[in-house]
Amino acid sequence: MNTELFENLRLELRRGCLVLAVLAELRTEHYGYELRKALADRGMAIDENTLYPLLRRLESQGLLASQWREEDKRNKRFYRLSSDGEIILKQLLEEWNIINSSITRIVTGEPIAEEELSI
Amino acid sequence: MELVDRYLYAVRCGLPKGQQNDILAELAEDIRSQIEDLETGLGRPVNEAEIVEILKQRGHPAKVAARYVPQQYLIGPALYPIYRLVLKIVVLWVLVPVFAFVVGRIAVATALHPSQTLIKTLWDLAMSAVFTLGVVTLVFSIMERYPAGAKPFEKWDPRKLPRAPKSAPESRSTPRATAIAELAASLIFSTLYVAWFRTTFDVGGLHITLAPIWRAMCWPFLAVILIGGVKGYLSLVWPDRIRLRFGIRVAINIITLILVGVLLNAGTWVNLSAAGAPVGGLAEAARWTNFGFKIFLWFTAAIAIGDAVPEGMRIFSKKPAWNYSIAT
Repeated sequence: MNTELFENLRLELRRGCLVLAVLAELRTEHYGYELRKALADRGMAIDENTLYPLLRRLESQGLLASQWREEDKRNKRFYRLSSDGEIILKQLLEEWNIINSSITRIVTGEPIAEEELSI
Repeated sequence: MELVDRYLYAVRCGLPKGQQNDILAELAEDIRSQIEDLETGLGRPVNEAEIVEILKQRGHPAKVAARYVPQQYLIGPALYPIYRLVLKIVVLWVLVPVFAFVVGRIAVATALHPSQTLIKTLWDLAMSAVFTLGVVTLVFSIMERYPAGAKPFEKWDPRKLPRAPKSAPESRSTPRATAIAELAASLIFSTLYVAWFRTTFDVGGLHITLAPIWRAMCWPFLAVILIGGVKGYLSLVWPDRIRLRFGIRVAINIITLILVGVLLNAGTWVNLSAAGAPVGGLAEAARWTNFGFKIFLWFTAAIAIGDAVPEGMRIFSKKPAWNYSIAT
């Protein structure tokens, strides 16, 4: 039961992070399979049934741009971050850093610095 | 690669129209790349078992296709609690009592074959419940898609929420509207009761005669209705006298229980007669009608007990009804 519970919570935790990881990785152009491998190589494995619908969603939101192109005599769909995506990625990374710092402070019991409070 | 083609074709069936070719082309390319990677690692072409393994690991075609369809629900989480409440009220508090105490009883009382009629009535009840479920679900799903005016969960005002009960038990006053409603209901019911009380009825050639015990019970029942009015009046005059209110309610339930006990003791509550009707059929109809009355009386007793016990406990309870007030 605990394993299942942990797995559910882990997936919940990862869900938001995946968007960030995909956007960040697509600062360099990739096609789907290549992107999947690149993410897995950096420790963020994502299954294809999650990745491709996510890519479509991010593209429909205007955060990604894609085009079909021939490579190695095969048609592949290449994705890259759009200009809107770059702005959103920057904001999300700032948010991510704030969350990360907050969680660290909460876990370690470290109080928030005065200059941060004044922001 | 025939297995891959079959897999892709199966996925296609569940994909949104207009995107099928695009999604399938990308999916096919992904599978092909994965197979090529595996072949490079193995140093040989993949066999059928390995392709099966790859496809199984990707999941059932319906599951894969479902990921590309936007998440849809008939009734969303915001409306769902109201939907459940409406269904509960309509089915449990309207449909079942109407069938149990009105439709069913009349149908059984007037039928030539009461047992068959009873089964048919139960079947009709089940069908009505299914129909009601369908209609309520349809109405709520329309509300979900086309919210009337501004979205109801976005345009709201805390000042329009119902008042929370006060924290101190002595100030748990009866709402004025409730007191007026109790008083008005008592006056209307008692007037109708006196005006319409009869012990004989004619329903489609069937002569229904209530047993003599009902005449004896006429005035006690009127007294119970009037006590309800007195309770409403006292709640209006002294809204904070909650123990008095609980006490009267317990008294009403106790008197109801006594009256029901006397009625149950009578054993027969209705007699049927009809010119030209077969004697056996009439006796059977009377038996089922009396059985219906018996169930109704026991049901009434159960409700009276169910209401009296918590009300009785509240008389002696010092626990505040609402403990979370932050009002100063």
